[in-house]
Amino acid sequence: MLDLRLSYHLHSHKIFFWLFILVFSCQIFFWKNTEKFRIAFDIVPPAPSKYLTSALSFGDNEFLFRILAMRLQNSGDVFAGFISLKNYDYSRIYDWMKMLDSLNMKSHLIPSLASSYYAQTTKYEDTRYVIDYLDEHSSHNIDENWWWIFQAVFIAKANLKDMNRALELAQKLAQNNAKNAPFWTKQMSAFISEEMGDGCMAFSVIQKLIKESENGVRQIPLHEMEFMRYFINERLRKLKNQKFDPRKCSKNL
Amino acid sequence: MKQILKYILKNGLRDRLYLGLFITLIVSFSISIFLGSTMLAEQKQSTAAFIAGSSRAILAIGMILFVCLSINRAFENKEVEFILSKSIAREQFILGYLLGFFLAALLIFIPLVLIIALVTKPSIAGLIIWSCTLLSELLIIICFSLLASLILKNSFSAIMASFAFYTISRLMGVFVMAIELPQDLAEAKNHILATGLKFLSALFPRLDLFAQSSWLNYGINDAYGLKIIFWQSLIYIPLMIFMAFHDFKKKQF
Repeated sequence: MLDLRLSYHLHSHKIFFWLFILVFSCQIFFWKNTEKFRIAFDIVPPAPSKYLTSALSFGDNEFLFRILAMRLQNSGDVFAGFISLKNYDYSRIYDWMKMLDSLNMKSHLIPSLASSYYAQTTKYEDTRYVIDYLDEHSSHNIDENWWWIFQAVFIAKANLKDMNRALELAQKLAQNNAKNAPFWTKQMSAFISEEMGDGCMAFSVIQKLIKESENGVRQIPLHEMEFMRYFINERLRKLKNQKFDPRKCSKNL
Repeated sequence: MKQILKYILKNGLRDRLYLGLFITLIVSFSISIFLGSTMLAEQKQSTAAFIAGSSRAILAIGMILFVCLSINRAFENKEVEFILSKSIAREQFILGYLLGFFLAALLIFIPLVLIIALVTKPSIAGLIIWSCTLLSELLIIICFSLLASLILKNSFSAIMASFAFYTISRLMGVFVMAIELPQDLAEAKNHILATGLKFLSALFPRLDLFAQSSWLNYGINDAYGLKIIFWQSLIYIPLMIFMAFHDFKKKQF
C-alpha cells in the first residue's frame, strides 16, 4: 500500500500529463467531427405559437408586440448583410403578421410594414400573402382600415396583376362609411372595372354614386364633385367612342 | 416610525439605489428611444411601449434586491434587535419598513412618470392608470420581498423566492389559459399539471393584468380589468402584511 502511494506520488504528474493528452486528443477528434456543423439559419423563422407569445409577454402584450414587430421588420438583416425579399418565405411572414395582429389589432405598424416594405418583393406571386393579410386585417373594421384595403387593391393591381382580386377588394373598399375616407374609395371599383374593359360595371358604380348624391344619401363635397364631373365626362367620352350602350348592361349590376 | 422611514430612505442613498436605478433607467430610456426611432411607423408608440416595459422590469428587480439586501443586513448587523429594544411594536416596525421601501420606490417612480409623459406624450388617463397600477404592483413585490426576507433570513434565498414569485405572477395569465380541469375526480390524476396550475393560480396574484403598456398608447378600454386589479391589490397587500405580522410576532431575538 505504501509502495503504491509512493509510486503515485512519484509518477502522478506523468499520469496527469498523459490524461491531459488523451482529453486534448478527444477535443481535437470532437472538433474534426463537428467542424461542418452549422446552426440552421432561417431568414424568417416560424411564427411563435399562441401559448409562447402569451408566456413571453409576461402579461404585457403591447411590449411584446413592439419587440416582435421590430424582429419582423429586421428579419433578414443579419450578420451585417441584407437578403433580397424574393428569398423570404412569405407564408411565414403572413403567419407572423397574423400572430402580431392577435397581440394588437389597433396598431397600423404591421399593415404599414406589409404594404410599404414586404409588398416590394420582385417575386410578385408572394404579394398574394401580403394582400390576404391586408384584406383580413382590414375586414375587422373597414371604416378604420379603408387605407389598408386600398393598399391591397393597389398591390393586387400593380404588383400581382390580378385584376379580379383587385376588383373584389375595391368592392370591399367601397363599403366603408368612414368620414375621413375620400370619395374615390367609392369609385375605385369603377376605375378597375373600366381598366378590365367592363364598361357596364364602371357605368353601374358611377350611376349608383350619382343616384346616392341626388337622393341625399351621400353628401359629396364640392371639390370631390368637381373631380367626379371631370372623371365622368372623361369616361363618358371614352364610352361614347367605344359605342357603349348602357341598356345592354345586366340589371343585376 | 419616522426614524425608520428616514433610515430606509438613507439606506437607499447609501446603497446607491437611487443612483443605480436612475442610471439603469436612463440607459433603458436611451435604448428605447433609439429602437423606437428605427421603426417604420408608430415610432412614438413603440418608444412608449419599450420604455414602459423595460422600466417596469428594472423597478421590480431593483426593489426586490434593495428590500431583500436591506432586511438581511438589518438582521446581520443586529439593527432589528436594536430598533425593537426601543418602545416600538413589531407591527409598527413592519409597517415602517414597508412604508420606507414604498417611499424609496416612489422617489424613483415620480421622475420616471414625468419623463415618460414628456418623451412619449401618452394618453393622460392611460398614464395615470398605468402609474397607479405599476405602483400597486411594486407595493405587492415589496410586501412579498419583505415577507420572504423575514421568513427565509438568507438574502440569496429571499431574492430567488421574490424573483420566482414575480415571474410566476406575471405568467399567471398563461397558466389560467392552460388550465383545463377534469370533468370528474377520477380523471384528476391524468390532469396533475392542470390541477397544479389551478392551485398556483389561487395562491399567486394576477400581476399580468397590471401596468399594461397599451394604456399609454390607446388609453383605457376595459374597466373590468381595472376592477380586478383594484380588488387584487386590496386583498393581496394586506394578506402579505398580516402574514409578515404573524411571522415576525413569533420570532425570538
